[in-house]
Amino acid sequence: MSAEPKDVWVYLQHTKSGLTSDSYEVLAAGRKVADKLGQKVVAILIGLEVGSMAKEAVAYGSDEVLYVDDPAYETYFNLRYIDAISAMVAERRPYAFLFVANELGKDLAARIAFRAGTGLATDNVQLEVEDYTNPVLGSFKDLLIQVRPDFGTRLARIYTPRHRPQMATIRAGNFAPLRPDQKRRGKMERFVPPVKEYPAKVKEVVELPPPEVDLRGADVVISLGLGVLKDGSGRPRDPREAYQYALKLKDAVEKRHHLKVEVGATRALIYAEVKELEGLIDKANQVGQTGTTVNPQLYFAVGISGALQHRVGMRGSQKIVAINTDPSAPIFKIAHYPIVGDLYEELPKLIELIGGGVTA
Amino acid sequence: MLIIALLKGVPARTTQVAQVGGVLNREAMDLVLNPHDSKAIEAADFLKRRVGGKIVALSMGPDMKLIPLMKPLFDAEVLGVDEEYVLSDRKMAGSDTLATSYAVSLGVRNVVKRHVDAIDKLTAQVKKAGYSDSVRSLAAELYGANLLPNSVYSEIPAITDSVVQRFIRGETTAGEAIRSLENEKEKLSRYIVVSGVKTTDGETGSVGPQVAEGLSELTGRTVPHATYVEDFDIEPSSLAVVSQRRIGQLSQKLEMELPALLTISPDYRPREPVASGQEEARRNSYRGKSLQASKWTAEDLGADPKRLGLAGSPTIVGSGVEVGKPPVQKALGRSIVFITKNPKVEFGGKDYGPFEKGDLADGLPEGVLAGLKADGALGVFSYEMLVEEIFA
Repeated sequence: MSAEPKDVWVYLQHTKSGLTSDSYEVLAAGRKVADKLGQKVVAILIGLEVGSMAKEAVAYGSDEVLYVDDPAYETYFNLRYIDAISAMVAERRPYAFLFVANELGKDLAARIAFRAGTGLATDNVQLEVEDYTNPVLGSFKDLLIQVRPDFGTRLARIYTPRHRPQMATIRAGNFAPLRPDQKRRGKMERFVPPVKEYPAKVKEVVELPPPEVDLRGADVVISLGLGVLKDGSGRPRDPREAYQYALKLKDAVEKRHHLKVEVGATRALIYAEVKELEGLIDKANQVGQTGTTVNPQLYFAVGISGALQHRVGMRGSQKIVAINTDPSAPIFKIAHYPIVGDLYEELPKLIELIGGGVTA
Repeated sequence: MLIIALLKGVPARTTQVAQVGGVLNREAMDLVLNPHDSKAIEAADFLKRRVGGKIVALSMGPDMKLIPLMKPLFDAEVLGVDEEYVLSDRKMAGSDTLATSYAVSLGVRNVVKRHVDAIDKLTAQVKKAGYSDSVRSLAAELYGANLLPNSVYSEIPAITDSVVQRFIRGETTAGEAIRSLENEKEKLSRYIVVSGVKTTDGETGSVGPQVAEGLSELTGRTVPHATYVEDFDIEPSSLAVVSQRRIGQLSQKLEMELPALLTISPDYRPREPVASGQEEARRNSYRGKSLQASKWTAEDLGADPKRLGLAGSPTIVGSGVEVGKPPVQKALGRSIVFITKNPKVEFGGKDYGPFEKGDLADGLPEGVLAGLKADGALGVFSYEMLVEEIFA
């Protein structure tokens, strides 16, 4: 058994077409942390015929790949994967272990953390390495600082000072993938997990098509919030009108500037289950902590007050235009271009200017 | 069947969150039922209609707050709960997900154990007293306390062939009755736990799978789990649960034997009730609702104090982080900007500029501004400027 826990592990997800885009982000996050610690990045890869993906993992930042390559692991089955990874953790004792914060990453990480008796900080938007001193527990050198939204009001630092590995899930969209370096060489090591029987089995697995709304791939995102339900004087409005404006704006930007535009929405609007917006806006459009994190060139926040959960999902946007009737709305704290006004009056002006270039 | 729903009280408003050193003070806040938990209740209700049983609510937190919070669920005829246990102890305060999952796992184990104990007690009485009215009165007492299903003892007219009724009538031997009771005990170990996918306060989604892991550790029997379940059914005879869920880029159908744990997606819609199997469902059900919530302390749970509360929590919540720096803002119709390119301006022995078109003039000394205004170099930030800049 190794003496001190070491290395930063990253769990890589994949589909039939290879590593998922989020996996490149977790590699980048691992690389950043490992460099600060002076440790290695070990990519954990489980499946069947994972060889080419293992090479890619090295090109994108890992120093070693610890893999399982076995027909029994061809399809994702949580209990079997958890046992394999837990066996790896028990044997090698990593210093930190990162997963992508999607349903699959959380499915694995939670049970693995419990079995290892360690903490799990979920949905991190930032990772740092710093020394940490706690009045009761003492001082700790080079701790993983896990930064996650806490309670909708702030971003908090989470520490796991006494337990190893320090486990975290990261929110995709916050860690830019590294440029691949095909010349990098890494150590490949096969792991043979224990074989067990389970009181469960996978009956069917279908790979889902990529989402129709590609928020993360968009150059420009136009997002709608609960503000669409009322106009500037507080009178109820049919939100389909605002949606139509968003589409017109999208159309104008696409035609005039040849940019890729998607329509987004806040969780508040989606969960309000507004009848009029049924079939127009759903979870695929959600920007924010529990939706998609976006970093477009340009972000329009329309009728969005800007709860922290929303802001953490779009704060990386290069230019933010916010339209809101309330001058004290939190969205204005991070907007580059605040427009205090009624979206039902302001959007048509924008569309006219962008589309036709006609001066009002 | 025991259908155990994990419920949580979460702060009603994010503006009124009381924290002490990174730990929530739930006693000082108004709590509401975690919105995601309503799906767990829908799923529990579906299970009860499909295979019968009892919906047991299990929650953790200050009992003074939680018991009133759960009251409407208790009172509800539809989509309500039958029984309630609150894990409440100062020793559990400040628990992170690991310590919470440990305590909740113990709670689930205790719920099952309480029902197993009732059957054990009855079995002992059958062994001791044989065909005696004491067996019947003990069964009636336990049934009245909602600890025995109709299949063991019943007072509803539709069921006359429960284990105890048949035994009392002399239709079975003591040995047969004891074997039937053993079988009923085995059925209790096939419980199901349901919860929401996450809570609106912690937002981790970790506690569900971790409770499955905790139960596996505590009972020595692997408890499978499925998170984000959008649709599921249970086969009444085998009690196999088939769930459909979306995880990452996969849609997966997972079949699980009981005991198992499901976290229910906000997209879950219960299936239509099936007419068949109602009789069996009734046999698996209990007398009715227990009127009093039970509070369990760390000691009641037989918990290891080192695994509870702050002591049992590996993670520590530290100080906050600024959400980015406030940007340089140009407010439409308010900010004063340069409308032309402008060379340096000298004023009071200091140089200002040069300025590009669109540069903010806010913050320049009055004297400088006055001169620039007179030159026609400044204007209010307009839509035309905004549109030009955002696509630059």
